[in-house]
Amino acid sequence: MSEYWNDIFGGTKSLLVGLGITAREFFKPVVTEQYPWEVPVMTPRFRGHIELVKNAETGKPNCVVCGMCMRSCPSGCITLAGKKPEGEKKKVLTQYELDFTKCSLCGSCIESCNFNAIQFSKDYNLASTRKEDYLFDLLKRLEEQS
Amino acid sequence: MNIVEQTRIALLELFPDLAAADAEARAKAEAEAAEAAEAVAPVEAEQEVTAAAATGEAETATPPPAEESAEAATPETKAAAAEKEPAAEGPRQNGVAVGDYDRHGVHLDVLCDPQQVVAAAEILDQAGFFIEAITGVDWLKEDQMEVIYDYNRNDGRLCRVVVRTRIPRAEPELPSITNVYPGANWHEREAYDFFGIRFLGHPDLTRILLPEDADFYPLLKDFTL
Amino acid sequence: MTAPIRCREDETFVLNLGPQHPATHGVLRVKLTMDGEYVVKAEPVLGYIHRMHEKMAEDRTFAQFMPNTARMDYLHALAYNHGYVLTVERAAGIEVPERAEYIRVITVELNRLTSHLLWWAAFLLDLGGFSPLLYAFDDREQILDLLERVTGSRLTYCYFRFGGVYNDIDDDFITGTRNFIKRLRSRLPRLYHDLVTKNIILIKRLKDIGFVSKEQCRKYGATGPLLRGSGVQFDIRKNEPYSVYPEFDFDIPVYDEGDCMARYMVRMDEIEQSMRIIEQALDKLPDGPVRAKVPKILKPAAGDYYAAVEAARGSFGCRLVCNGDKSPYRLKLRSPTFSNLSLFGEVAEGMLLADALAFMGSLDLVIPEIDR
Repeated sequence: MSEYWNDIFGGTKSLLVGLGITAREFFKPVVTEQYPWEVPVMTPRFRGHIELVKNAETGKPNCVVCGMCMRSCPSGCITLAGKKPEGEKKKVLTQYELDFTKCSLCGSCIESCNFNAIQFSKDYNLASTRKEDYLFDLLKRLEEQS
Repeated sequence: MNIVEQTRIALLELFPDLAAADAEARAKAEAEAAEAAEAVAPVEAEQEVTAAAATGEAETATPPPAEESAEAATPETKAAAAEKEPAAEGPRQNGVAVGDYDRHGVHLDVLCDPQQVVAAAEILDQAGFFIEAITGVDWLKEDQMEVIYDYNRNDGRLCRVVVRTRIPRAEPELPSITNVYPGANWHEREAYDFFGIRFLGHPDLTRILLPEDADFYPLLKDFTL
Repeated sequence: MTAPIRCREDETFVLNLGPQHPATHGVLRVKLTMDGEYVVKAEPVLGYIHRMHEKMAEDRTFAQFMPNTARMDYLHALAYNHGYVLTVERAAGIEVPERAEYIRVITVELNRLTSHLLWWAAFLLDLGGFSPLLYAFDDREQILDLLERVTGSRLTYCYFRFGGVYNDIDDDFITGTRNFIKRLRSRLPRLYHDLVTKNIILIKRLKDIGFVSKEQCRKYGATGPLLRGSGVQFDIRKNEPYSVYPEFDFDIPVYDEGDCMARYMVRMDEIEQSMRIIEQALDKLPDGPVRAKVPKILKPAAGDYYAAVEAARGSFGCRLVCNGDKSPYRLKLRSPTFSNLSLFGEVAEGMLLADALAFMGSLDLVIPEIDR
């Protein structure tokens, strides 16, 4: 019998304590970010999809078309091609495509690159209903940026 | 006697020939150790006792020579295992090998006949082990299928045991251990699912992770993506 | 008390719980044979999110499999990263710099906090309480922000590398973590314990529900909070120490009751213990490199290797069979909840449906990890 009353009094008390806590929290400032009006700043290490890095001097991509990133990628999302223009020693990048639908943002490509040619972008608000929108032409993107 | 040695002796029951040879070797090592202990100045024996007392073990009652002999036996068996390893280039013989824990992560490595897995499970069940996983490995070149049982303890005494057996690839069948460990049920179903290994006596050997109408065994080496 | 109303024996019916039921936390389906409100037989049906990671491993190099590990248990991804790198490091004989080990411990424990907080939130949601979810997510987001600052991702981390970690932590992260721990410490007693743990409704729903005995745990190979809630002090971090865990002073919470409340309490206490580990690791954090020199293509010697770690849900083990090639010959991933869930059928027999759901919640299921 005493347990019965204990349950009732103890239970009522626990519920009132809980209500008190909820009530106090109710008047605390809002902690959520009001997204479309407030835009988050991505941290420097944020991993967006990869992008090409431009050489500060020449304005051309740093890439030397060695294909290391393509080989190190676990899911084969990178396709790149280059050609050697006549009279030049180095290959020039002609195509760099990223299939972002397969990318898992592991960073293997960036680690494998010895020429600082690719980096993570800070694009986070990507949304589309079409798969083709995630086939990025990174070379075109680099040209558009400048 | 530490748990690894204890389990090793228990598991040797599976192989009567090896057990007899091992008991002989141990008796010999014990006798040698006892002799050595007699030869050593008593100061050392005293140290041993105080050391044992300091660790607060209740085993202080056991005479130090016996303890020493257990330790003496382990390197010997390790040496035997090391001797066996180069020979492992050919097919490994059935038996209980002491594994190099730091390198491979297991304390005891048992290779037995497919018919003995239930007996092995019973011995380990008696000794208080739990089943961690059951899996297969497809050795396409040797035309064999390996079934691996991982056992572990949860009472704080560290001893990982792996029991492995080889079955012909064309007819992958072996007895089920679900009667000993009900928890093996899903693990065996998984191995069936991935490798097509048939566990005889399993209550419900159906696909578990793959769709029930799948007609392939994905982890076989001749199944390519 | 009146006797419960029961149907006639031949009047059982089959109830499908899931695969889209909110209480199954993903895509688990449980085929329940019901006698009125009572469960006669419960049969979990798995495989709705099976991806065959083990086959993928055979198709990739060791390093290329890294991102897959995080996608098994997405709530405690770093522990799975850790288990995999430990196995490969053992196989290839790679030494890890001390600073990297400390960073691993700090991030894994932070990740354990997020996992337990999310479990807490989702479990209470199963039981019908909504507001705790918001408080837990508030705290969890703080940790995710901290981890994002270091690892670059919020959920499916690919942060560990063979021989170290991807990149070093900075002072902002260290002060941020210290502040966060202070904050969680101040919130735990009030927002977590006063509001929920002492709540009469929670106690009534969890006490003496879903009893799992020690022997059942052993027979089914259960590990993690489920085992510790049944009175067995088993934690890989203590029993089979790896990384730098022996350096830290922490306890393994154990409760003997074996019911849902015990498992709840184990996890709540583990939050406290994880915070202790993080604090000590931050105090002791040595200087030095965070990554050893490791060849790009690893080719471990042929053989069998095993390593296990304590993930939030139990002991996660990797069995790696190598044949000297640059990709694993066979990689077996031993996921803890696979074993933990296998005793659900036996325990749920004869329970009320609502209690069976409470029991299922207390197992802390993450389906992608069961299905792999």
